[in-house]
Amino acid sequence: MAIGAGLCLLLSVLAVPACRRSDDGKVRITIWHQDRIEIRMMLQRQLDRFMQLHPEVKVEQLFKETEELRSGFIIAALAGQGPEIVYGPSDQVGPFEMMNIILPLEDLFQKDWLAGYDPRAVTWYKGHLYQVADKLGNHLTLVYNKKLVPVPPQTDEELIAVGKQLTADTNGDGKIDRYGLTWNYTEPFFFIPFMTGFGGWIMDDQGRPTLDSRGTIGGLEFIKRIRDVEKIIPNEADYNIADILFKDGNAGMIINGDWSWAGYLKAGLDIGVAPLPKITSTGLWCGTMVSPKGFSINVNVTETKKRWVLELIRFLMSEGSQLEATKELFTMPTCLAVQHGDFVRDNEILRNSQIQIDHGRPMPVVPELRAIWDAMRPSYQSVLAGTMTAEQAAREMQALALRRIKEMNE
Amino acid sequence: MIRNKHKTSAVRITLSYLVLGFFVLVALFPVLQIFTVSLRPADRLLSTSLEIIPKNASLDNYVALFTERPFFLWLMNSTFVALVVTVTGVALASTCGYAFSRYHFIGKKFGLLSLLVTQMFPATMLLLPMYIMLVMLHLINTYIGIVVMYSATALPFCIWQMKGYYDTIPTSLEEAGTIDGCNQFQAFFKIILPLAAPALVITALFSFMASWTEYVVAAQILQDTEMWTLPLGLKSFESNMGSEWGLYGAASVIVTIPVVILFLSLSRWLVSGLTLGSVKG
Amino acid sequence: MNTNTLRHRLYVFVLVVPAFIVLFGVVIYPFFYNVVISLSNMNLRHIRDWRIVGLDQYVKVFTEPSQPDFYAVFLKTVIWTVVNLLFHVVIGVFLALVLNQKEIRGKAIFRAILILPWAVPQLIVALTWRGMFNYEYGAINLILTQWFGLPAVQWLKQPLEAFIAVIIANVWLGFPFMMVIALGALQSIPQELYEAADIDGASWYHKLKNITIPLIRPVMVPAITLGTIWTFNNLNIVWLVSNAGEPSDQTHLLVSFVYKAAFNFYRYGYGAALSIVIFFILLAFSLVFMRSSKATENVYS
Repeated sequence: MAIGAGLCLLLSVLAVPACRRSDDGKVRITIWHQDRIEIRMMLQRQLDRFMQLHPEVKVEQLFKETEELRSGFIIAALAGQGPEIVYGPSDQVGPFEMMNIILPLEDLFQKDWLAGYDPRAVTWYKGHLYQVADKLGNHLTLVYNKKLVPVPPQTDEELIAVGKQLTADTNGDGKIDRYGLTWNYTEPFFFIPFMTGFGGWIMDDQGRPTLDSRGTIGGLEFIKRIRDVEKIIPNEADYNIADILFKDGNAGMIINGDWSWAGYLKAGLDIGVAPLPKITSTGLWCGTMVSPKGFSINVNVTETKKRWVLELIRFLMSEGSQLEATKELFTMPTCLAVQHGDFVRDNEILRNSQIQIDHGRPMPVVPELRAIWDAMRPSYQSVLAGTMTAEQAAREMQALALRRIKEMNE
Repeated sequence: MIRNKHKTSAVRITLSYLVLGFFVLVALFPVLQIFTVSLRPADRLLSTSLEIIPKNASLDNYVALFTERPFFLWLMNSTFVALVVTVTGVALASTCGYAFSRYHFIGKKFGLLSLLVTQMFPATMLLLPMYIMLVMLHLINTYIGIVVMYSATALPFCIWQMKGYYDTIPTSLEEAGTIDGCNQFQAFFKIILPLAAPALVITALFSFMASWTEYVVAAQILQDTEMWTLPLGLKSFESNMGSEWGLYGAASVIVTIPVVILFLSLSRWLVSGLTLGSVKG
Repeated sequence: MNTNTLRHRLYVFVLVVPAFIVLFGVVIYPFFYNVVISLSNMNLRHIRDWRIVGLDQYVKVFTEPSQPDFYAVFLKTVIWTVVNLLFHVVIGVFLALVLNQKEIRGKAIFRAILILPWAVPQLIVALTWRGMFNYEYGAINLILTQWFGLPAVQWLKQPLEAFIAVIIANVWLGFPFMMVIALGALQSIPQELYEAADIDGASWYHKLKNITIPLIRPVMVPAITLGTIWTFNNLNIVWLVSNAGEPSDQTHLLVSFVYKAAFNFYRYGYGAALSIVIFFILLAFSLVFMRSSKATENVYS
């Protein structure tokens, strides 16, 4: 009796939040993204401004971690729901397109509007435009502590020389306390620069993996050399370890992406950003993957909302918005006017960032990319563990990649 | 003979303290590291030194939690959900478990087995159909949806556990009660339930923990940031690379406190020592 | 049977049935959805236009060449489960027995600290453990080399050591739960049984074997059964501490494959089939275990 009444009361209380979403007649647009906190805050400011200009629209942003963003969006969109806009790196376009959950955009944006943007910012796939990006990058760079490394190395030999100078046992306890270089080198994405430096790349134009190459072998051997022979990098370093070594001044240089610079500045480090070195034996610059981060539109968006969604995207992509973002976040803008503008030219970090982007190659958007990452990891780590030679690893990576791709596409 | 017993007693007690001390250290060490993370500036998750109070320690992260993030909102939301799930869990598990313990009915074995069965399926593949189901029932972005899912996850263990505990209480007690004049219901409430207090504590604690810490289902259901529970809020401090470890650490410390407080306040009944012997008298 | 009992029975049923309806509702639809998907070719290329193709996915689950393969990972998962449960239960019961002694002072503080591994958010604690296993900077190696003079272990870079590392982390996380259950279970044992045994001059071992263990069983068995099922499927810790399977994809459980298949490769048909296989493995175990422990019956009956 009493229990029954109590339960009824509880259920009615629970129903209240459900009706809290009052229908205030506004058009609701939701953006899902995976951006770090500084970008979220800036985005909120820009959204607030947009809503002031257009009081009949209410825009909300929702942060989801990268993997969850992808799987969450897939699940929601397949169920006919999901946010109107999904914002992220270009590699999400491949799977989204295959599942038919994002809209082709070429008829929705004017050609001359698109012309005002870096061609790398618009992602075409299978003949259609699927993403327009306001930021370009997501690329790795050489970040150095100016106190320890006054002049950044330009070539791999210089890198090793500087590294050796710095790597030392500073307090005489027999253990090395400071390394010349550190980075998350066990992760394939962070290995790519050395693969390209030795002339390799992960796939050809048809999306077929090309992992069994001199580039891969050269890169693997280089990393083994700087760890085991020159000993300028720690024995084991994942992202977090590398990060704190650098932050604590126990590493002179780190290879990290454009998302990390703000954190190092906030930690009080006097950092410089330089392009990754040139490999003397090949004469090639270490190129990284460059990816635009942009907007895609959910296929479930209603016609009434579409107009506002496009309006919002144009607003966030505008010159004013991009300049504001660039100044605060050090991300590379895609609006050509801002890219070639004074601020980017005068800012040391952004200048170097641009050089590295030019050395880089676009990240593939095909879904098979995941298979390739997955295939690279085991053999790569075996080489680091010493249980496989570089040549063997290159062959194994290629074989595994082909097999995974086959499994994905059956 | 008595001296001997005292000596072995003293040895036993010293050893006990040593053992407890060891496990306390083991339990505490990683947790202290998290505390250290919360005090360290500049989001350093790890450290090369073992010191507990780091250089430049500050409580900035704790302040930031409440002033720069809606941590308090998350706290309130989580408390609400957890309390509802706990109350529901205790109410339903205590009665269901009792039925399974005392009565024989068709499908009893099947019922018990089916409780287990609900736990066996790997959660990964349940996400898509669960989402579709919740959309169809309009339970997305509602607390009812979450409470139902959490109760469904926590109940099997709680029901089974209550049944197990009831099984250790002889039915002769209820029979004695009915002879003394109370009906079955009163016998249940006044005699059996107090004896099963430890099991009720376990049920309450488990249900609370299940909802306080659950992330995956909450992430699917609660799309509105106003409705976020603590695990969702904590996750927002994390990015693929470059998480705000300082805030995460501080939040983790604060999130742990209610659990410990709940446990401390309930543990009175967990070890109540209200054994059958005292009741009989 | 008088009307009072009948009414009472009805009342109890009314409370039992809705709970079960909700339980089933939450589980049945997803389960059957997965059964259907497991018989289909649902993947990246056939996400909306999938069709039933029979047992292909099941064949793939068992025969697809991979390093490690299904059977190796299955064995690993079984070892993982058994070792974890063993340590959880032994440590949990042991601590409960120690804490239950009346001479111990400050029990509340001990209990509060010992429950911390359960209370702390899993993500950050798992990553902390990962940090502690770092070869050069981790606390574990620092303690091994500086306090015990032992050589540092390559925890996260060798498959066996990595497996041990994730087990250690999970044992740490799991013993408080069993300790709490055991504490509760110990309360159900009538004091007079111990007193009678003492009068008979029984040793502590005898009391443990003949009184304590049998009488905490009804309460421990549900925890052990469900603990086994949960541990078997506990992806979180293994994934976080080993950073998704390092080294070289060797640190995996069967559920890791489900996760990778579904989230990394969009092979939903395969994922569903593997999930169903896991389900039947656990079902078989539970039936056998329940029969042998007579868990569905009453202890005093």
